[in-house]
Amino acid sequence: MLTDLYELYKQMLNEKIIFCFSGPVSQHVVEGIGATLKLKMEIDDNDINTIQRVFSIFVEQMQNLMNYSAERVSQEREGGDLGIGLFVVGFKDGHFYVRCGNKIKNDKLSVIRAQVDELRTLNADELKTLYRRRRKEPSPEGSKGGGLGFIEMARKASQPIEIDYTTVDETISFLSVTVYI
Amino acid sequence: MDILCIQATKSTPYVCFDPTSGTFTIKGECYPENAAAFFTPIFAWLDAFLPLGQPKTLVFDIELLYFNSSSSKALLNLFSLLERHLGCSDINVNWRYHADNETALECGEEFKEDAPNLAFNLVELEQTGSNG
Repeated sequence: MLTDLYELYKQMLNEKIIFCFSGPVSQHVVEGIGATLKLKMEIDDNDINTIQRVFSIFVEQMQNLMNYSAERVSQEREGGDLGIGLFVVGFKDGHFYVRCGNKIKNDKLSVIRAQVDELRTLNADELKTLYRRRRKEPSPEGSKGGGLGFIEMARKASQPIEIDYTTVDETISFLSVTVYI
Repeated sequence: MDILCIQATKSTPYVCFDPTSGTFTIKGECYPENAAAFFTPIFAWLDAFLPLGQPKTLVFDIELLYFNSSSSKALLNLFSLLERHLGCSDINVNWRYHADNETALECGEEFKEDAPNLAFNLVELEQTGSNG
């Protein structure tokens, strides 16, 4: 058990973590935390375009988690089948970041790794072209969104998307995605 | 055709399509969990309405503070649908954005380029005031 909450508090303060959540994510969670996050950033006097970018990346990360987390819970009141994971919003070296972690099936992980590896090589204009081309195409098989989430994040990010992962067992890994704004 | 009206939620916009006045409003934020499901009744309504052809210009007023990537795809589908029915009616799209919202302007510019046949106007609104 976490015995010293003060230590955690100090650590979060030191690392400039402004938000941290772990648990099942429903659309209500995204709406509620999204609104809180915006309010907090407004109070701290952040530029509206920075707030928009953080919010946008937060939403894409959460919706990925809701769609792809391999760890799920049934909850009728919140709308059925919720993905479990955690996310952190913080500030480092002059940039906000949104990190999101969840368990994921290994085959899905390789698809995401390949996609992020490709995105990391593209510049802003190439990302824009890819985004607009992909937007005109039908949604990819098995994608609940438009298949645009990672490209959208890459376009709004100030640095290439970072991913790392830990193998849990032969079918599951823990994926963590970090996007700097 | 009956009026189509969908009330806003925290993550979906207010939608009001009024065939009598010829005004079509989409206003708010749009990041539903399932964008395709949210837009289905909107497309069904337009699929029935647009082929009828209208004597007066149809004006689409769209003011979205934020929308997620899957809604962006649905919006492009909406503009493509409107483009395909330009032979039936005159259609104007007003993409309304706040001057301080760079993202909304950029998104409007990209939609304008991707729906080149549509009369797509980028309309800058006053700075957000305390009275909204």
